[in-house]
Amino acid sequence: MNRLEKFYPLFPVYFLYGALFLFGQYTKGMWQAVALAAFYAALGQAFNVFLGMTGYVDFGYVAFMALGAYGMALTVSGLYAVTWLGGGMILVGLLAAAVFSGCLSVAVGAIALRLRGAYFAIATVGVNEGFRFLLEGIKLWGGSEGIVISSKLREAFGTDGASAISTFWADVFVFLIAAFAAFLTLQYMRSRIGYALAALRADEDAAQVIGVNTTKYKIIAFITSSALGGLIGATAWTLKLTYVFPAEAFAIHYTVEAIVIVILGGAGTLMGPVAGGILYAALKYGLGVTFPGLQLLILAPVIIAIIVVVPEGVIGVLKAKVRGTALEKFIV
Amino acid sequence: MRQFWIQFSGNLLNGMILGSVYGLMTMGLSLIFSVLKIVNVGHGAFMMIGAYVAFWMFHLLGLPPILSIFIALAVGMTLGYCFFQLVIRRLTAAAELTTLLATFAIGILLEESARFLWGPDYRGFSWNVGRIMLPPIAIIPLGKIYALISSIIVAVSLYIWFKKGRSGSAIRAVMEDREGATVCGINVDGIYALSFSVGIGLTVASGNLLTLFVPVGINPYMGGVYTLKAFVIAVLGGLSSPWGAFFAGFLFGLIENGSYTLFGLVPGIEPFSMTQFFAFFLLLMILLWKPTGLLGAK
Amino acid sequence: MALLQLNGVTKRFGGLLAVDHVSLEIHSDEAVSIVGPNGSGKTTLFNLISGVYTPDEGTLIFDGRDITRLPPYRRAHLGIGRTFQIPRPFGTLTVRENVAIGAMFGSLGAQKRVDDALKAADERLKLVGFYEQRNRPARELTPVEMKMMEIARALAMNPKLLLLDESMAGMPPKEIDTLVTFLKSIKQKEGIAVIAMVEHIMRAVVNFAERVIVLYQGKKMLEAPTAEALSDPRVVDVYLGRESEQ
Repeated sequence: MNRLEKFYPLFPVYFLYGALFLFGQYTKGMWQAVALAAFYAALGQAFNVFLGMTGYVDFGYVAFMALGAYGMALTVSGLYAVTWLGGGMILVGLLAAAVFSGCLSVAVGAIALRLRGAYFAIATVGVNEGFRFLLEGIKLWGGSEGIVISSKLREAFGTDGASAISTFWADVFVFLIAAFAAFLTLQYMRSRIGYALAALRADEDAAQVIGVNTTKYKIIAFITSSALGGLIGATAWTLKLTYVFPAEAFAIHYTVEAIVIVILGGAGTLMGPVAGGILYAALKYGLGVTFPGLQLLILAPVIIAIIVVVPEGVIGVLKAKVRGTALEKFIV
Repeated sequence: MRQFWIQFSGNLLNGMILGSVYGLMTMGLSLIFSVLKIVNVGHGAFMMIGAYVAFWMFHLLGLPPILSIFIALAVGMTLGYCFFQLVIRRLTAAAELTTLLATFAIGILLEESARFLWGPDYRGFSWNVGRIMLPPIAIIPLGKIYALISSIIVAVSLYIWFKKGRSGSAIRAVMEDREGATVCGINVDGIYALSFSVGIGLTVASGNLLTLFVPVGINPYMGGVYTLKAFVIAVLGGLSSPWGAFFAGFLFGLIENGSYTLFGLVPGIEPFSMTQFFAFFLLLMILLWKPTGLLGAK
Repeated sequence: MALLQLNGVTKRFGGLLAVDHVSLEIHSDEAVSIVGPNGSGKTTLFNLISGVYTPDEGTLIFDGRDITRLPPYRRAHLGIGRTFQIPRPFGTLTVRENVAIGAMFGSLGAQKRVDDALKAADERLKLVGFYEQRNRPARELTPVEMKMMEIARALAMNPKLLLLDESMAGMPPKEIDTLVTFLKSIKQKEGIAVIAMVEHIMRAVVNFAERVIVLYQGKKMLEAPTAEALSDPRVVDVYLGRESEQ
């Protein structure tokens, strides 16, 4: 494979992101819809790093997004008066977000990742609720009232600056995170890490016997997925909405949506979550217009149908179709 | 000080009684796992259905929960059978991930259907039939005692059925050794359907009985906390042992109420939230120490 | 000193005593075969050696180190490679990628880079004569083809001890002979210290093994040079007697 060929799979992904961005910028009133699509694509990609590549389901995933949101919120609350930082404060916030969610994932992973399949799922069901109740119980970080950063953003960046951040730059960050997640996913897939994960996903016991330290690689995927989730929470929630409330940040429906997106698009593929995210956003938007409030009701049986009939998702089907053709290198 | 102990004992007693319902619901979960090796992540949603059955039967027909439990059982078994045939049966060969997601999606479907049919508002009812006085420790509403008795009756019936009944013994056989059971001529697919139906039936029935303890706050999304509790109890009692699960339910009821009281003593924290957190913490600690549960085999 | 040493290794499953206080030694340049009727504990023994199971009693020493509590992947790194009785390919990957996993993770000096591992996989596949099939998805192979792939994968791990579990089941006699010749040459050329086979198929055992260990109902019944072992009346009884009963 020559140098450029290695990056072929990213072409369609970045093309989609670019097209989406331009569409949002230059079509009146569509920016919010586009931002939503970018959010779901990013969420899907972040979630896919663990779900898709290991085959394990983390039912408490949204807790990592929430922690990232808190990381950013606490950074802004703490550093907004430090004027020489300027825009750098946002970068510090992103770092904090990744560190916060990374730490939680290390703590959870140390216990949960020693467990197999069903027990792992059980352990993670409680992570989300457990952490949220802890926050509310010991009244940490604002307890059930959360943190509001709108005034602090205004102080740090001025009214126009703060407005630009929540209505534009936050979403740009989401696009960037999505692009980064795609790049990282491809790097993993092509490397030793990807092979180890593919092996353990196919047959964990056999992989161990052939020499793969399965726990180590599960941890790598877990922390990566969680940190990416934290970055998304920090930008799509804290920066965009300018607040963090535990009831919203730990809302389990984000985990549901992440699962839907990855399954719809194709778990374990690169393009899957992107296609899934955009499709899901379109579906949600469309259903929201025609059947408001009924989106999940309609989607639940759809998910079941997909799981039973087309478990490999849209991109999975596409991959099978282009096998043996020139397009094979682009659809991964 | 004495006052504290009196109150504490009263709470523990209440906790234990509630534990019978916890045990019953976890039996459902355990049965499904031990026979089909499937974790029903949508567990709480079925509890919610049971609670609504209790509500509607009381509201429309004046039936108290100890009578509507039969309807709940029937509803549960029917739902279980339908979902088995439509979904679960087609996934027996699939990866674990797939069945987890499927039960998860089924839970979502139930919640959203409930919301669509009955609205998101909280429902409740009250069925007052008097109390048992156990001075000075506690005054226990008779409804709770009925729930305790019902749970025990159901659990014992199940036990007898497993020991003596033909299909019950067949279920036990499949639990222990699937291949061996096939060789003996047992229709394993039929056993799967039966086990899943009974498991869901138990879950819905326990949701029905739950309303004798928590007769208000019935809403489509009430089930989530019970899923977590059921998992903790199942892990406590062994995911593969329905009987262990039943006893672990009592234990959990004790722990839950006990910790609520104790947390209530600590200033500056919110006892309800901390109790939920503690449940999860307990779960992780058990999984860390004994991954197959305190009473689990293998 | 022995490469592999088992001392009183015992494994129970519920009430069943699958492996009953088995002790044996295998040396660096041996070709050994483990035989015994169905249910005698052969595969359980392999699982104990490769680390899938931990023994209830007894110890295992490999290359001078106590591996009794080591997880499977660490034992692989020390030099234990194996195939499975019921093949366990990484179904979603191609044959080439399967073997490459062995090259990438199977030993301490493993190929760290994916490209090097893929090249090593190619070499192994050529050696085994399976090179043309390298790009097929592993799940599409026939069981016999899967066994060949597993051998290549185990070899890619550069093992000191190679455990082959019923690798010849289902093969026609000519292929068995080819495989036996191949294994003998591997043993010599590659410096793979030992190849221990678990086989029902007497043809392979007779041509390949210098020494035979006979298991029966979880116990080591006897061990002796091949010809001696297979003509021992107790062995004949256990094997042929059993079979004629069925």
